[in-house]
Formats: sequence, structure tokens, C-alpha cells
Amino acid sequence: MPSESETRATQTDTGWQDHDGFIGPFRPGKGPRTNPRGDFPTGPEVGETMPNARCITADATPFDLHADRAGKPALFIFYRSAVW
Amino acid sequence: MKDFDAAGVAVYALSYDEADALRDFRDAHGITYSLLSDPDSEIIRSFGILNDLIDPDDHPWYGIPYPGTYVVDADGVITHKFFEHNLAVRHGPEQLLRAVQGQPMLETSPSLEARLDESAAETVQVGVALDGDALAPTVQRDLVARFRVPAGRHVYAEPAPQGSVAVDVVLDENDRLVPRPIVRPASEPHALADSGESFQVHHDVFELRLPLTINNASRSESTEITVSGEVRWQACDDEVCDIPSSRRFEVVVPVADSPAVALGSKRGAALEPNALAHFRKMSERRMASD
Repeated sequence: MPSESETRATQTDTGWQDHDGFIGPFRPGKGPRTNPRGDFPTGPEVGETMPNARCITADATPFDLHADRAGKPALFIFYRSAVW
Repeated sequence: MKDFDAAGVAVYALSYDEADALRDFRDAHGITYSLLSDPDSEIIRSFGILNDLIDPDDHPWYGIPYPGTYVVDADGVITHKFFEHNLAVRHGPEQLLRAVQGQPMLETSPSLEARLDESAAETVQVGVALDGDALAPTVQRDLVARFRVPAGRHVYAEPAPQGSVAVDVVLDENDRLVPRPIVRPASEPHALADSGESFQVHHDVFELRLPLTINNASRSESTEITVSGEVRWQACDDEVCDIPSSRRFEVVVPVADSPAVALGSKRGAALEPNALAHFRKMSERRMASD
């Protein structure tokens, strides 16, 4: 079943409030406040080998996750943006 | 971060921002973990977590992931993953450290131990405290109820037998708090010798953890919040059960600010003077490639 967007929201004096009480300038269900309702894809499963990630660092140098990790346990965080 | 460093855990954070934007962000906030740049969302797509609810023409928002965290062990195997429906609720550092350390044995917590009455060692003892220094918007932390059950006795776990009460933490309604489902430890089967009836119980010392975030609904200047509610349980020995018990709790927790957002506040903009320029550049690049 395809994901659908969470659109429950109330307009307040200071912005749009979602169903958890967070207030922001954007209306839930649009743009940066597009959250899923119900099931949504979350990538590889617990128990699987972590896929490698090859990209660049903040210093624009090449990065290879498993090489850099070098046998250490790790947290790998996907977040939306450092700019906004 | 020093806790992760001390635990020998590498920490990486990936976004679709350009490398130069990440450099400015890192320098403004003194970030010591690795920030990774995925400007065409290739890694995001390869993991299958591109937010496909956003319209591909909706720039610059299209290209972001469903935010989440993978915990990887020394062999490169995923041991936990944390994804949330609400972008404003993110697992806090204490929760992530517990996960990557494989949820270690219960350690003595001074704040929890102080709440246990040593003079009443024949009854179930309960202490409630926050695992963390404060609540800040978007940073999830656990409200921990630690139980000490006397030897020879047990409390019902979920699911409790019909007519009995399973151990539980019930929060009072509070518009500022965003709870998530309780995390319960593994329970053990317990069989009665006479009847052979078996049910799930907890013995000895165990914790229930209630993940909590504070929202930004109130604009008051309050620097603390009272987290209150009730702990419930039913204790038995092999012959007799007590009537169900409950105890109120009130924990006063400091409230910290959420991190300053560069495009959302003067304080944030002062820390990151180039943020608006980065935002324009990433928007224009995406619109130009349509």
C-alpha cells in the first residue's frame, strides 16, 4: 500500500500546529513538513548487512562508509538538511 | 559526542546538502562527527528512503529522505533502526548510545536509587526519572520507571491474565508532551505448580521506558516542565496475588532550547550568515535541472 501524507493540522496565532503539538510556518502535509501517515519505506532491515555508502564529506573528500568505519560500531543518521 | 567517542562508536550524518554548506554548518556549531554530502540524493535513493510523498517539482524539498538512524555493529550488521512518522521527533543521544551498546545491564542511577525506600524492601519499589538532563524540542528521551521486585515475588507483564493488571506507566495528559509507545523488557514465563497455568512476569530489577519529546506549542519562558502520571502493577508470589497497586509520580524536568535554525531565527542566522545563500543555491540548482 503506497504511503500517504499526514495532513492533520490546526492553524494557530503562531503558525500551523500538527497533531503532536509542534508548531511551524509550513502547513503539515506540504513541502518540508511532508510526513508519512501509516507505513512508509525505512530501507534495509535489522539483521541485514548495512549497505555501503560512497559519497563525499563536508571537506569534499571521497568517503566510503565501511572503509572509514574500519570495524567499529557506528550510527548512520539520515537527516533532512543542515541549511533549512 | 564524547560518550560515543569513549564507547568507540563512529557517528555519521548524511543529507542532500552541498559540501560547502555542510562545512559552514559544522564550523558554526562545532560539530565533531562526520557530515556527509549527497547532493543528488543517490545514497538516499539507494537505501530506498527517498521521501516520495513530496512532488518532484517541489524545490528544494524534493530529494530529502524519511529521516532515520541505523545502528551498525562492528561486523557491519544493522542491529537497530529508528524511523519516526513526525520529522520533529528524533531519537536522542542517550537512546542511541543504549542501542549501539546493546542495552547494557542496568547500572546504578543515583536519581532512581534515591527514590527507592530501603526500609520497605518486602514490597515492590519504583523510581521514576528522565534518562537525560533535560527535554528539548525534537530530542526524544526516555522517562524511565525502574522497579525492584522482592525475591520470591513477581509482577505481571503484558499480556496479564484476565482480571489482572500488567505493569504500566500512564502519563497525565499534557499538551506539551509527545509520548510514544512504552518500551518493555523481555518477560519470563512463570508457571504455577498446582494448576500448571503459565503467564508472563517480571522479576527482580527491570525498567519500563516511555519515550518522550517536548513540543514547541507553548511560547512561555518556562524553564522546566512537570512530567506526571501513575505507575501501575500487580505483585504476586506463588500462592497469592496482591490487589493491583498504583503510585503517582511527578518529575520536574528542565526544558532546554531546541538548536537555533539558521533560516528560522535571528540567533540562528547570526551563527550561520551564509545559510540563506546556501538555500538559494540549492533551490536554483534543483530548479535549473528540471
